[in-house]
Amino acid sequence: MTTTRADLQPLSANPIGTNFPQILKLASDRYALAFDAATDEACAWQFKAWQGLTLPLTAIITVSMVSATTGTTGWQVQIEAVTPGDALNTTTTSSFDTVNNSASTTVPGAVGNTQDISITLTNNDSIAVGDLCRLRLNRDADGSAITDSVMGDVYVLGVELQDAA
Amino acid sequence: MAVLSDPDRVALWAKLMQDASASRTPLPLLKAELRAAVDAADAWADANAAAYNTALPLPARTALTTKQKALLLMYVIERRWEVSP
Repeated sequence: MTTTRADLQPLSANPIGTNFPQILKLASDRYALAFDAATDEACAWQFKAWQGLTLPLTAIITVSMVSATTGTTGWQVQIEAVTPGDALNTTTTSSFDTVNNSASTTVPGAVGNTQDISITLTNNDSIAVGDLCRLRLNRDADGSAITDSVMGDVYVLGVELQDAA
Repeated sequence: MAVLSDPDRVALWAKLMQDASASRTPLPLLKAELRAAVDAADAWADANAAAYNTALPLPARTALTTKQKALLLMYVIERRWEVSP
C-alpha cells in the first residue's frame, strides 16, 4: 500500500545552488518549473517528516515537454533529513544523501501532455519521524548519470511524495 | 575566421534550445541531433569563407575587415530570416 504524504507545488519550491529552474505562469494559468536542456538546474522543498512514516519513499514527478516530442529525460532526487540535535549548521551547510536516479524515460509524443516519473528513494538519509527534511530535484540535463536527450525545457508541474504506509 | 570553439558551440546550441522553449515550438529533434546541426553549420561557414570573400565585389572585398564582412553576412542572413514566411 502507498499513501500520499506531500504534495509539492512549483510555487513552494526553493532555489538550490546557482542554477535553478524558472518559475513560470503558463497560458493555461498553471504554474510550472522550467528545467533547462543544457544545464543541470535544481530546486528543493522543505518539510517535516510525518507521523507514521513508513519506508521506502517514492517521488512521483509530473512533467510535460515545452518543445520536445521525442527522446528521453532523466531526473535525480536527493533527501536531506536533519534530526533535532544533529551536529549540522543548517545556516551554512547542506547534507543531502546520495542521488536517486530515475530511469531514462521516453517523453510523450505531444508537447504539453503530462507524464509521471517515479523514483524510489532508496537513499533517504535515514529519514525518521520529526526530521527537518528537504527533497532536492534536478534534471540531469548534462546526462552525467542518466541519458537525457530531449531538446528544450521540461516543465515540472508538481511532485508527489509517497510512503509505504 | 576559424571554427567556433566547443564552449561557443555549446552556448549557441543552448541558446537555440532556449529559443525553441521560449516560443513553445514543437521540435522532433534530440539534443545530440541539434548539436550536430550546429557543428555542421559552423563547419560549413568556415569551409565556405573563402568563396564568400571571392563573391564580394571590389572595392568592398579589400576595404572591409574580416569582422565587417562577417557582420555584412550576418545582417543579410538576419534580414532573409525576418522576411521569410
